[in-house]
Amino acid sequence: MFIRHETLERNAFLFLVLTLITVAIGGIVEVVPLFTIETTVEHVKGVRPYSPLEQRGRDIYVREGCYLCHSQQIRALRDEVERYGHYSLAAESMYDHPFQWGSKRIGPDLARVGGKYSSQWHYAHLTNAQSVVPESLMPHYGFLADTPLPTADLQARLRTLRDVGVPYTDEDIANAQADLRAQADPGADAAELLKRYPKAVVVPGNGTVVTEMDALVAYLQVLGTMVDFADPANEHLQQ
Amino acid sequence: MGLEIGDLIIGLSMLAFSLVGLFLAAGAHDNEMYVFGLSLAGWGTVFVFGLLHRYFDRRDAARVAISVRGEQPHE
Amino acid sequence: MNDAAYAAVAAQPSTASRAVDYNEAIVKKFVIASIFWGVVAFLVGIYIATELAWPQFNLDQYVNFGRLRPVHTSAAIFAFGGCALFGTSFYVVQRTCRARLFGGEALANFVFWGYQFFIVMAALSYVMGYSKSQEYAEPPWHIDVWLTVVWVAYAVIFIGTLLKRQEPHIYVANWFYLAFILTVAVLHIGNNIYLPISVYSANAYSLTAGVQNAMIQWWYGHNAVGFFLTAGFLGMMYYFIPKAANRPVYSYRLSIVHFWSLIFLYIWAGPHHLHWTALPDWTQTLGAAFSIMLWMPSWGGMINGIMTLSGAWDKLRTDPGLRFSVTAVGFYGMSTFEGPVMSVRDVNALAHYTDWVIGHVHSGALGWVAFITFGALYYLVPVLWKREALYSTRLASWHYWIATLGIVFYITSMWVAGIMEGLMWRAYDKFGFLQYSFAESVVAVHPYYVIRLMGGWMFFIGALIMVYNFIMTVYSQSTAPRDAVLPAGLAVAGE
Repeated sequence: MFIRHETLERNAFLFLVLTLITVAIGGIVEVVPLFTIETTVEHVKGVRPYSPLEQRGRDIYVREGCYLCHSQQIRALRDEVERYGHYSLAAESMYDHPFQWGSKRIGPDLARVGGKYSSQWHYAHLTNAQSVVPESLMPHYGFLADTPLPTADLQARLRTLRDVGVPYTDEDIANAQADLRAQADPGADAAELLKRYPKAVVVPGNGTVVTEMDALVAYLQVLGTMVDFADPANEHLQQ
Repeated sequence: MGLEIGDLIIGLSMLAFSLVGLFLAAGAHDNEMYVFGLSLAGWGTVFVFGLLHRYFDRRDAARVAISVRGEQPHE
Repeated sequence: MNDAAYAAVAAQPSTASRAVDYNEAIVKKFVIASIFWGVVAFLVGIYIATELAWPQFNLDQYVNFGRLRPVHTSAAIFAFGGCALFGTSFYVVQRTCRARLFGGEALANFVFWGYQFFIVMAALSYVMGYSKSQEYAEPPWHIDVWLTVVWVAYAVIFIGTLLKRQEPHIYVANWFYLAFILTVAVLHIGNNIYLPISVYSANAYSLTAGVQNAMIQWWYGHNAVGFFLTAGFLGMMYYFIPKAANRPVYSYRLSIVHFWSLIFLYIWAGPHHLHWTALPDWTQTLGAAFSIMLWMPSWGGMINGIMTLSGAWDKLRTDPGLRFSVTAVGFYGMSTFEGPVMSVRDVNALAHYTDWVIGHVHSGALGWVAFITFGALYYLVPVLWKREALYSTRLASWHYWIATLGIVFYITSMWVAGIMEGLMWRAYDKFGFLQYSFAESVVAVHPYYVIRLMGGWMFFIGALIMVYNFIMTVYSQSTAPRDAVLPAGLAVAGE
């Protein structure tokens, strides 16, 4: 070899530099092209940023470690597509900061759980999973319904997300509080909300205060619903 | 042994960290930052006391060693 | 250097090293911490395994599975494993460099207490509901920043000690420790770039999203395994097996080849965690190919470790600590064969998301990481506390057999559960419909969750036996104090 290994073993600095170079290569090759190759994240109609309530629900999903039991990534395998729906596209998680694809299924995959169950089912299931699925191993999350959703930092959250690349407009951020309340109140006028966030699901709520559980259900109800797979014009069909 | 450069650097850094902790706790937006800030401040303070404790222990041990050897102490 | 020269160095009496005043206090601190956190990690593991077998044990939001699982993984990897790595790396680098630890007492104590602070704050944050929910990178952003500070201090101490060495040649264990320290720093920073909502808020959002975030996470996650749990512990192996066996490392040339190929190839393996997902095909293929190639340097390390026992196989009968270390290398070989197999895309199609992955993780974590640590601890505790020998080799033997049986129960139950889950999820009935609902697979694996729990209990009880043995070694009147000077024959590889 060009360098005798003994030379390396007698020179800590050289050893250090060579080690750093060696371990840097694989990461660069595998990570950088994902940002430069355009087809990595397809342009798919329907994918949009999360509404304020959905995003807050996602924050709760992340902090509770839901990804430890539930994946959010349907693989391109026949039985999986049949059980859960169309395999997950990269575009569908393009605004997921951070991603929650998961690596274990102690419970079923949730990538397309949106619209599969009624919001009431979700409230019951989150409060006591065994009441609707007796075999379930899921813990009880009733405390979420007893906890008012903190909203003081809502605009700050959306602004931070905008800073990392989620295309919230100034209008979105200005109306964040109103949109959040409208999505948890079936009696409210949801036209503005749906204009900014198509297919957002209005959750029943308890009528008085928006709770953490309202947010989580709103998030669950949008999962996998943004893309219309029946629409033949969708570009994802081409690669 | 006396005052080593390491003691000084670490001691001053820990004072700085403790102050950072206090500021974080004071402005904390959530429980986690509040707990973290106070804990950092508390831990940093205890650590500095530990540094002081070890410094004086070393100084006393050196004094004992000198007197055991029969020399005059310098102070 | 060649094998003959290596053996000559090994045979040299090392009276010179007696003159160096090594910082053993810091090693003792980390040894105690590692043992303590090990017990905590195993206990939390048992508790969450109980929750999976009987969900009634999810008593409230602070101890439910979602919040406790990261406590277990962080305690096992970073607290138990991390303290063992800190302690042994400080012990090994001093002795193989014939130099006292760089940076003085203050810096060393900062690294120790700073790391303990990180561990406690991280665990508290998960329980309070602030996990980032990225595997093995769960601590919130401010705790990640703190860890970076501590890690830089660690690197300064380790590299500083290498630079002030009296022994001109850097021993192989230090190559691995160095690669571990440097790479973990790069990985940690690379995967934890988060923008906080405010500097006063624990909540933050990742800079990247979706598929790119996934790739970065598993570049990190797999190499947390590759460098924290593998390279670092190989460093441990390369010192404590030759030391305990009183034999030189089997092959110097093999150590060179396997070191460089291991650290080069490991980095590429990340995508095997993302097979069949929305990660591009080309990346998945690279990940699979390199994972399979990784089998070779891994087994190179295994061969080097086990064959070091040449001429000293009978020590396996008499020295239970060495038995732990050699068995660890055996499990290492097993796991580093299983890993590449699971990285093949068609195998992964069955294995991903199932308990087989958990089984694989624990064969590595319990069989390799924990066992090589136990081997090092059984060597170190009598040496550090200046006792002639362990209080009881019989108890150490009991520990060995109970723990090994526990691992066997753990792995086999998870293999059966995992493969069964995979097969049930993809099973079709004679009409062409999916045969099983998801819930049916949950019911089917329950008995294996109970067996796994039993395995975990056995492993935990073995650890308690070890703790008792160590306490008695240090405090009992019956263990004789070690002589001031070790006999010359015990000098191997730089000490």
